[in-house]
Amino acid sequence: MTQQRTTVEINSITINSLLPRVFSGMERDESIASSEVWLKKLKFERGEKILIRAESGKGKSSLLSFIYGRRTDYSGSIDFDSDNIRNIGIGRWCDIRRRSLAWLPQEMALFSELTARDNVRLKNDLTSFRSDEWIEKAFSVLEIDNRIDTPAGILSVGQQQRVAIIRSLCQPMAFLLLDEPVSHLDPRTNRLAASLIEQTLDETGAALITTSVGNNLSVDFDKEIVL
Amino acid sequence: MSKKSNYKNIVTRLLRKNISATQLIGYALASMLGLTIVIVAVKFYSDVRAASEEDTTIGRDYLIIQRSVEGLGSLFGESDTGFTEKDINELKSQPWVKKAGAFTSAEYNVSATIDMGGRSLSTALFFESIPDDYIDVKSSDWKFEPGKSKHVPIIISKDYLALYNFGFAASRGMPQLSENMMSLIPVKVSLSGKGKQEWVDARIVGFSSRLNTIAVPQEFMDWANRRFGEKSSLPSRLIVETTSPGDPRISQFLKEKDYELAGDKDALGRTSYFLKIITGVVSTIGLVISILSLGILLLSIWLLLYKNRSKTERLMLLGYSPSQICGRYYLLIAIVNGIVFVISIIAMLLISLVWKASLETMSLTTGSPWAAIITGVILIGMTTGISFIAVRRSVIKCFRPAK
Repeated sequence: MTQQRTTVEINSITINSLLPRVFSGMERDESIASSEVWLKKLKFERGEKILIRAESGKGKSSLLSFIYGRRTDYSGSIDFDSDNIRNIGIGRWCDIRRRSLAWLPQEMALFSELTARDNVRLKNDLTSFRSDEWIEKAFSVLEIDNRIDTPAGILSVGQQQRVAIIRSLCQPMAFLLLDEPVSHLDPRTNRLAASLIEQTLDETGAALITTSVGNNLSVDFDKEIVL
Repeated sequence: MSKKSNYKNIVTRLLRKNISATQLIGYALASMLGLTIVIVAVKFYSDVRAASEEDTTIGRDYLIIQRSVEGLGSLFGESDTGFTEKDINELKSQPWVKKAGAFTSAEYNVSATIDMGGRSLSTALFFESIPDDYIDVKSSDWKFEPGKSKHVPIIISKDYLALYNFGFAASRGMPQLSENMMSLIPVKVSLSGKGKQEWVDARIVGFSSRLNTIAVPQEFMDWANRRFGEKSSLPSRLIVETTSPGDPRISQFLKEKDYELAGDKDALGRTSYFLKIITGVVSTIGLVISILSLGILLLSIWLLLYKNRSKTERLMLLGYSPSQICGRYYLLIAIVNGIVFVISIIAMLLISLVWKASLETMSLTTGSPWAAIITGVILIGMTTGISFIAVRRSVIKCFRPAK
């Protein structure tokens, strides 16, 4: 299991002339031409904190899904260091998802029939990255320790978002991808979540790439990009 | 619930939710039925075959073929009843022939003298030999080296012993002889030809139910033919090991070529042929049921994986590998198939008791169950393998959401 604790080295993510297939044919549209991401060349480096801002429907979730290897319906390329990610096989993706890339999808992808604790443990059992104590402490920092053994399906959306944040921090990582992580959190809980996330970034030296439609994670960003 | 539960338990809990017990039981019953029918058929066939090796009334893999002797021509030595090289090759090329060998006849005169309690019995004899592969009486004495061997080993037909005991000895007041006694009697054989004559010692080393002749080792025959043989002639009889006794093509071929079988045991071969056909039909029915049950299993696997599609996808998003996820399904399939296999084997053994009793009253032993068990292992192994492949493919398909 010690091997699982170490990060697979990814020092940079480069995107080049990227465009979701649904936008093909719209290259000359104002919305695409003015984007700082689509059809441009962009490089994310380890240690950076990046905020990607966009209105709804501009393709934020698509961008993170492409980087996480979940979807391949795009033109252009994405490289981890110098490897085009289209050439990565399923086995290596699973390894990368355990050791290099952490992701919080917008829809959270929790298992509603499992308790909040088991949802987190499902990830942590795979990586052995966190102790049970750390997980319990994280629940109490985010003020949901009284809900730890409740099935995720009956938690409020805000509570589910916090469970999903904790789960995304239970692995070694080089990049942390958070898709609208605090859209359902109040400013105070947002700050609590931000501090937990920054602590993990400090521990792992990972980069943060997060998206927002308005409610930003309370972190001092190095870069803000408009999609 | 223990706090220390590992991922296997959590993943199992997640994925087993959509398992349909009805489908699984349906599959298990259908599969058990199919598998049981197939292995019972195999067991039945191997039992009856095993019994028939002791008793030649059922299976007869060896045929002795000769030309029909017809008309007066043969009386005057005009027709040759031998088989040419071409005839033998043509026979060997028949699909029902596994191998064929020729009888070699003695080209010299043989007479034997037996000394029994002071009464000596002398008779003209004949010898034949066939390649050792066809000899059904295993004996370490079955060899001959000219100049070295003290006596010539002889195998005679069981029928001859019976003829002597129940025909000749009974009417002449001679003692009846057992097989063991016969093999202790010294026989003196006179060989003559080419103006030479020689006495050799011989001993009966076995009684054959396959060969209706007096057989000597091929080495002896070759030696004696060289020494005393006056003319060399073609083999007059052939022995054939057949792959399908009772095959109608055999009698068709014999009729066409005007050959006949030594001893008309063709009906017995036919029994064995029908037995083979019946076993084939029953096994086919069992196989069809097995294939249908595999269909049920595959359908329920696909349905289950379809219902679990979103969960499978989310697990892989967390970093679970296809193998970790497949493992849960493999375990389920292996357990169900294991149960099916064990129950089918037990059923086969129980069912085989039905005919075992009747075979035993005929004092015939039954065969070992291994052929049936191995057939079962192969079938269940193939079912398991195919469903594992289906699981793996479906899981890998979930890696990226459907477009």
